Amino acid sequence: MNFADQLAGVVADVRRGMIPAHVYSDPEIFAAERDRLFARSWVFLAHESEIPDRGDYVVRRVLADSFIVARDESGEVRVMFNMCLHRGMQVCRAEMGNASHFRCPYHAWTYRNDGRLAGLPFHAEAYGGEDGFPRQEQSLLPAPSMDIHNGLIFISLDPDAPPLREYLGDFAFYLDFYTRQSAAGIELRGPQRWRVKANWKIGAENFAGDSYHTPHTHASVVDIGLFREPKASKRKEGALYVAGPGAGTTYKLPPDGDFAGQLRYVGYPDAMIGSMEESWSADQRALVADSGFMVSAATLFPNLSLVHNWPQIDDNGTVAPFISLRLWQPVSATETEVLSWFAVDAAAPEEFKRNSYKAYLMCFGSSGMFEQDDVENWVSITEMAAGSMARRLNLNSRMGLTSAGQPIKPPLAAFAGPGVAYQGFGEFNQRHWLRQWSDHLEREPAMHAPAVGERVNLGGAR
Amino acid sequence: MSTDRGKTGRRPLPYTDPAHQAAHQFLVEEAALLDAADYAGWLDLLCADIRYLMPVRVTTARGAGFDTLADMGHFDEDMYALRKRVQRLATDHAWTEDPPSRTRHFVTNVRTFRGSAFPDGGVEFVVESAVLLFRSRGDTREADLVSAGRTDLLRETAAGLRLARREILVDEAVLRTQNLAVFL
Repeated sequence: MNFADQLAGVVADVRRGMIPAHVYSDPEIFAAERDRLFARSWVFLAHESEIPDRGDYVVRRVLADSFIVARDESGEVRVMFNMCLHRGMQVCRAEMGNASHFRCPYHAWTYRNDGRLAGLPFHAEAYGGEDGFPRQEQSLLPAPSMDIHNGLIFISLDPDAPPLREYLGDFAFYLDFYTRQSAAGIELRGPQRWRVKANWKIGAENFAGDSYHTPHTHASVVDIGLFREPKASKRKEGALYVAGPGAGTTYKLPPDGDFAGQLRYVGYPDAMIGSMEESWSADQRALVADSGFMVSAATLFPNLSLVHNWPQIDDNGTVAPFISLRLWQPVSATETEVLSWFAVDAAAPEEFKRNSYKAYLMCFGSSGMFEQDDVENWVSITEMAAGSMARRLNLNSRMGLTSAGQPIKPPLAAFAGPGVAYQGFGEFNQRHWLRQWSDHLEREPAMHAPAVGERVNLGGAR
Repeated sequence: MSTDRGKTGRRPLPYTDPAHQAAHQFLVEEAALLDAADYAGWLDLLCADIRYLMPVRVTTARGAGFDTLADMGHFDEDMYALRKRVQRLATDHAWTEDPPSRTRHFVTNVRTFRGSAFPDGGVEFVVESAVLLFRSRGDTREADLVSAGRTDLLRETAAGLRLARREILVDEAVLRTQNLAVFL
């Protein structure tokens, strides 16, 4: 069977909630994801708070493509392919810093921090000046599409990508809970980076909606009194929502709380609650105050996940909430680089920032006590998916559906957020993520081998 | 012999100095506890005001003036946080360490500097060391290596030397171990 037919079969199975197990370890599927999904989709790279000053930059990747994300001398955010126009050297080999120019170490071609070529040695002697090589017009390749929402910098390798805000759709409503708790927005710290021998999809799906794993995988953090919530009795009261390209989990808050009371319950000080009241819409406030749900984990397709939890951070029982953003950066079918940031409202009191940072480190990230057990599972799935037997097995991802494909219970009527929400356990969100994955894999590869005339030609023959 | 003076600005104690020998032995005994997964025993070696830090290491240009993040660590722990981690590993549900990793902490390059003295006659020592952690999980997975330098503050107490502060300078910007469910 050729690959196109195989892929059609995989997608057909995924669409009925059955996942061919090998997709979590298959190099051919990975290549299709590269050419059909990551070649088009909006992908998160960085947050504006990581490059606050002119000349600040970070270097980030989309799979194998390295990009410089810089704030130029006029204060604009620029995202540039990190490859010298001349012989292809990586222009900037540091991962962060501040620079007015980037100079290629190979032949000293030098670029301004907005990407424009500022100079090259011996222009007259080597090229005969502007006629042989018109340096005035040259620039590092910009990301084909770049856009910013709430300070979150995304790129798409598709020059015809829809506007980011249009892509985010109804998920923008939920993104505000993590990234717009005040007019100041968030500041990011990190990222912690580490590589795990797990397929990138597993974490993305898990954060999108796997409230079912929490009581068991994370039993240890309840055992030690770090966290009040993950126990099954609490977790199954939470709502799962899908909205636009995103999906997420929530926790049910205690009954009869008002807006401020619920936010105090998860550990926010009154100064921040006032900011949230101003920053969020009536419907956003109602999700907390009237529906009684607090956002927890979520994934924005394809590979940006967010998490919001509220552990006890000292022996006095102080509860402190934290927010983390993380990117599941695919390395290969069997390896993922995790980039995990701590995020906090930039206007939050210093004491809150300290407590929230402590809460993050204890729970998530490279050393986090939640995350430790997750990764063990995901590495194991990836190993098991590599062999011949896995090719005979479709994994059941139909939780929450009858055999006829109907939800076993109606959507939540009293849920103030957009999209569709269900209370209790179900794999609605993972299927929503996988449907988008299927939509991408069904399309033809994008710009994989453009015709000669479509390539960028730099000062070539005229 | 020109000597790097470390963070104290002083010369390291000669290897024959009993204070250096005691510090070195402390680190070796500590590594033995960690490799035996005797984490309760390990906690007993820590001062109540312990600060256990592992900043995120980053790749920067030579002239940048920094290669760690000032405000972000892999660890930034006090006694509460470390005790919770140890309690967790002792539960029946810490899956990432069940089956447990086989670890070996190789501790070397130990240098001891006399640090601050207290009015009561107690002394703190600054002790630098290199640690190479070998971590093997399961039967077929490739083993992980984590290499780091450590700068410790060891305090003389009535019960012997105790660790008051540890800063771990990890030698990779991107860790190649699936998590830090281990101590360095």
